[in-house]
Amino acid sequence: MAANTLSTPLAQPRKPFGWSRFLGRFLAYFILTLGLSFTLLPFVMMILSSFKTNLEVLRVPPTFWPENFTLENYLKIFNDPQLPLLRFYGNSAFVAVFNVTSTLFTSSLIGYMFAKFEFPGKKILFGWFLTMMMIPTQITMIPSYLILAKLGLINSLWGLVIFSAVDAFGIFMMRQFCETLPNELFDAARIDGAGEWQIYWRIVLPQLGAPLATLGILGFMFNWNAYLWPMIVLQKIEVRTLPIILTWFNSTHTGQGALVMAATVLIIMPILFVFLFFQRWIVQGFTMTGFK
Amino acid sequence: MVRTRNRNDRRRSGLVISKRRFVASVTIPLLLYESLGIFVLGWAFVLMFFDYSPGRLGGPILGLGGSNPFVGLRNFVEMFSGDSVQATLFRTSLRNTIIFAVAVLPLNLAITLPLAWLLESIGNRFKSLYRTIYFLPVLTSSVGVALIWMSMYDPQAGWINAIIRAFGGTPVAWLSDPRAGFANVSIAMWAVIIAYLWQDYGYNMVIFIAALQGVPHELREAALIDGANSWQAFTRITLPLIRPTMLFVCVMTMLSSFQVFDVIQVMTNGGPNNQTQVLMLDIYKSAFRYQNMGWAAAESFVLFLVVMGVTLFQMRVLRTDWEY
Repeated sequence: MAANTLSTPLAQPRKPFGWSRFLGRFLAYFILTLGLSFTLLPFVMMILSSFKTNLEVLRVPPTFWPENFTLENYLKIFNDPQLPLLRFYGNSAFVAVFNVTSTLFTSSLIGYMFAKFEFPGKKILFGWFLTMMMIPTQITMIPSYLILAKLGLINSLWGLVIFSAVDAFGIFMMRQFCETLPNELFDAARIDGAGEWQIYWRIVLPQLGAPLATLGILGFMFNWNAYLWPMIVLQKIEVRTLPIILTWFNSTHTGQGALVMAATVLIIMPILFVFLFFQRWIVQGFTMTGFK
Repeated sequence: MVRTRNRNDRRRSGLVISKRRFVASVTIPLLLYESLGIFVLGWAFVLMFFDYSPGRLGGPILGLGGSNPFVGLRNFVEMFSGDSVQATLFRTSLRNTIIFAVAVLPLNLAITLPLAWLLESIGNRFKSLYRTIYFLPVLTSSVGVALIWMSMYDPQAGWINAIIRAFGGTPVAWLSDPRAGFANVSIAMWAVIIAYLWQDYGYNMVIFIAALQGVPHELREAALIDGANSWQAFTRITLPLIRPTMLFVCVMTMLSSFQVFDVIQVMTNGGPNNQTQVLMLDIYKSAFRYQNMGWAAAESFVLFLVVMGVTLFQMRVLRTDWEY
């Protein structure tokens, strides 16, 4: 066997074209497309239902294509005075943008410091961070809520940002990247008289473009879709973020399936479009970081 | 920092000072901020030994003591041996959480690993399109996922029952049927497991694809030339080589399924008959609906220990100490 292997020229094609190979390919595409349809169909159903009337979605058996294609549901949502959609988009955007900006700043700064500076207690501090990373939210949720209550920040969007300024995971990731940057870069700048903050701002940050973009997009998605913590903090309707508004809308419009589906489309679609634009960064980011 | 003396001494010490100043100006606010974290953690820890409700006035420090009395380990004793309503509900929730996680992990792997392998084996032309579409549910808000699946599960007009009727079966009230289904797990539980899997599989697929791309082609090809078939090459070469990824995927999937909340809260809110009540939901309800925060803190601690134990066990089993 071994001798046989050695005498085989490396350039020889693996297998000649044949029916078994063709069948294998066909089967692979078949299974993948089956999985693909299973993934896509719920989205298709959602979009199609949103263009039906509320009576049509109740029909048994269900219709696939809308019988009377209507924009009524969307118009109803846009004209509902109880549902100032723009305001809710604004709430979600505020929380996401604020949290992402602050974590990008702190992660890059602290990650850079851990990677390139020596100071007493560095290892202990970093170990502490790693430990904090392991502590799940359900442990800290209750005291965090009590603190917000004491500070009077329940029902305030600021309550959603105050505990999110530092992200241990982001720091960890940025440290990994900063370690790959050459020290000569910083030394040269120091000789030229640059201050430490200037070095961070002018030299480190531009080098971190790619990982920052990844971290930023992922953080944005995470904040945009967050549900449990915003639900605890935001109890009044006006201050709520989109996912909580969606459940509230669902519970106040029972039996109006088409309307609820239209609201769902409006709330989940923006993020999917963002994904299609940035998908290279995002897929890369997920695999690079294992962040969820 | 001791440096050899030379002509640049003054300048160097200036650099050292500015570096120190930089480090101090970053670490000091950070330490302050992180001590808030420690405070929160300490509070969570103390809370589980009290019968605490924020509505009662209580003692001077953090409202503990007084009408929020210290109960020692009584919360934990109650949880595992008491027969009050909340203790029974806790044990049901713990059981449901374990059922959920134990069902999700193998099903997830059974979907993601073969699909990732197939996707990696076909040409590059469609790969990124397929990957993009498989990934869409991961980015969808869980509330959206829950509502979409609720409309699919609708007992009257839902698509799933329409398909069942088309094949002559009897329609099922998916989200409100407490009867035991496959493997003695309630039908409602299976319904939420499927919705959760649908949202989640794209994530592990993308990670597996990246890992498979990292496996050197020569190893697999050598095995094929040696007469192994593709199945053998997969199980004997590829699978052992992606073992670190396997560990990562198993740990992350277990972690998130033990902490499942969103999809279940929206779809069933724990019903029917608490058949889908999972721990996070129970903690949320105890703490914020019944204001029973000492109890909820104790429950969170148990969940934390369970998750920690499972993670350590997985790391033991799947650890590797070699590289390629």
